[in-house]
Amino acid sequence: MKNTPPPFVGFGLGLRTCYFEEILDTEPNVDWFEIISENYFVSGGKPWHYLSQIKERYPIVMHGVSMSIGSTSDVNFDYLAKLKKTIERVQPLWVSDHLCFSSLGEFNSHDLLPMPYTEESLDHLSQRLSIVQDYLQRPLILENVSSYLTYEVSEMSEWAFLAELHKRTQCQFLLDINNIYVSARNHDFAPQEFIDAIPESAIAQIHLAGHSDFGSHIIDTHDQPICDEVWQLFEQFAKARMPVNTMIERDDNFPSFKEIMAELEQARGLAPASWSKHEYA
Amino acid sequence: MSTLKKLQHDFVAMLQGQNTTFTEHIAKQNGLSTAQRGEIYQNAYQIRLKKVLEQDHEMLGLYLGDELFDHMVEEYLSQYPSRSASLREFGDRIPQLLKSSPRFKEHGILAEIALFERLLLHAFDAADSPTLQLAHLQSIEQSAWPNIVFQLHDSVQLLSCEYSAVESWQALKNGGSPPSPNQGGLRHWIVARAPDKRTGFYPLSQCHFQCLTSIEKGLPFGFVCEAAANVVGDQQQGTLQVMQLLQQGIELGWFIASPQGSQ
Ligand SMILES: [Fe+2]
Repeated sequence: MKNTPPPFVGFGLGLRTCYFEEILDTEPNVDWFEIISENYFVSGGKPWHYLSQIKERYPIVMHGVSMSIGSTSDVNFDYLAKLKKTIERVQPLWVSDHLCFSSLGEFNSHDLLPMPYTEESLDHLSQRLSIVQDYLQRPLILENVSSYLTYEVSEMSEWAFLAELHKRTQCQFLLDINNIYVSARNHDFAPQEFIDAIPESAIAQIHLAGHSDFGSHIIDTHDQPICDEVWQLFEQFAKARMPVNTMIERDDNFPSFKEIMAELEQARGLAPASWSKHEYA
Repeated sequence: MSTLKKLQHDFVAMLQGQNTTFTEHIAKQNGLSTAQRGEIYQNAYQIRLKKVLEQDHEMLGLYLGDELFDHMVEEYLSQYPSRSASLREFGDRIPQLLKSSPRFKEHGILAEIALFERLLLHAFDAADSPTLQLAHLQSIEQSAWPNIVFQLHDSVQLLSCEYSAVESWQALKNGGSPPSPNQGGLRHWIVARAPDKRTGFYPLSQCHFQCLTSIEKGLPFGFVCEAAANVVGDQQQGTLQVMQLLQQGIELGWFIASPQGSQ
């Protein structure tokens, strides 16, 4: 499977139900929208009613939360079939999910549980990725998750693990800078070191989001504005790197659409002129 | 068992409160203890799923009150862990729990309110299909009528309540207090998504309920009229009732287009 970063299409937003009508009414200056894949596994109704109109006006990308690619249980082909069907209907620019496991056997935790960073995990993920990509007949982009624990058995850092996985499989990553920051605080490492370790050829997309700070640790709640430190990390990234599709991700405690748009504009403003999508059109 | 398999197995057991040795997998770090790090995941698991049930069953939550609702969530999480990739389906077995749990089963209205809320959720994102229009019916030859088979739209659900579940749901929704659970007999409802995508529910007479049940079973128009006649005790009245039902159903999008046998 040929895995190169998708072309730069600009700055996107997570498409959420509460913004459907405003998006259709105001046609905001957003370059693309990201949907949660599983929300469209249903057959019809309101979500599809709005999505079919929005996708006529904006490019769409798909982001899943339940593939559980790292699970040691059998590959869930029933899930993959639903995903494939949804991909055919949506025709997204690209498709992503998380580098984690969330289900085991019949049990689903509905959480993004971290993998141990070991040779065994590398082998396992390489194998799974190839099965999934063969089935979907397209690349699957993987997002780094926030974590609150590390494992005794881990043999390398998360960033070394990602870099190695890319080397072996050419897989692309959706770098969530907030997740990197959350994990860095929880495990006491320098977020910049993580970002620097991921090669240009491995980054397909960026997520920017907010979290809840409890002092002793932070929880990745995606329900707060993006914090200053995450903005700074993004600004440095944008200065140093080729343009990467960047998105504001908010999953709860939704502010007005105006506030979300202000974050999108802030991201645009922090990126250098070379990140203007027109140069790459 | 491989290291990875064992680790995932222990993690999942910890989330469900069945394993206390999972902390041995967690590396010691500054700040939080290994136990605290595990607890963050366990709490997140419970909070996330509780929130789903709260959102799906808002009026049931009000009816039960916080304490009983928390008990229900606790029982549900331990007896019916999620097996679906979608959170949308997580609460599907709540009516089942309320019917079987010793704490709740004496109060039959609870399972009915829960089922009503599940049907509303189903109607919200059921499959789209073109709905039957009056013009379709006008093009049907008189002689073909008895054999027409109408088909219910995917969002349509029929509900029969022994208790005042729907009335209680409605009262709570409007900020009032629910009526007595006993209503002295069965009442019938239809839950469906209207053409403007709004989910609605309507009371059904015994006659209309029988008609819709016959349609649901795939019986042709002739049989549906007979079912109606049996309820109202008169052939002509029965047919009139069916025509009224068709008119209401066409307006509200209860049937899908091109009934079989009408070509
Ligand atoms: Fe993210």
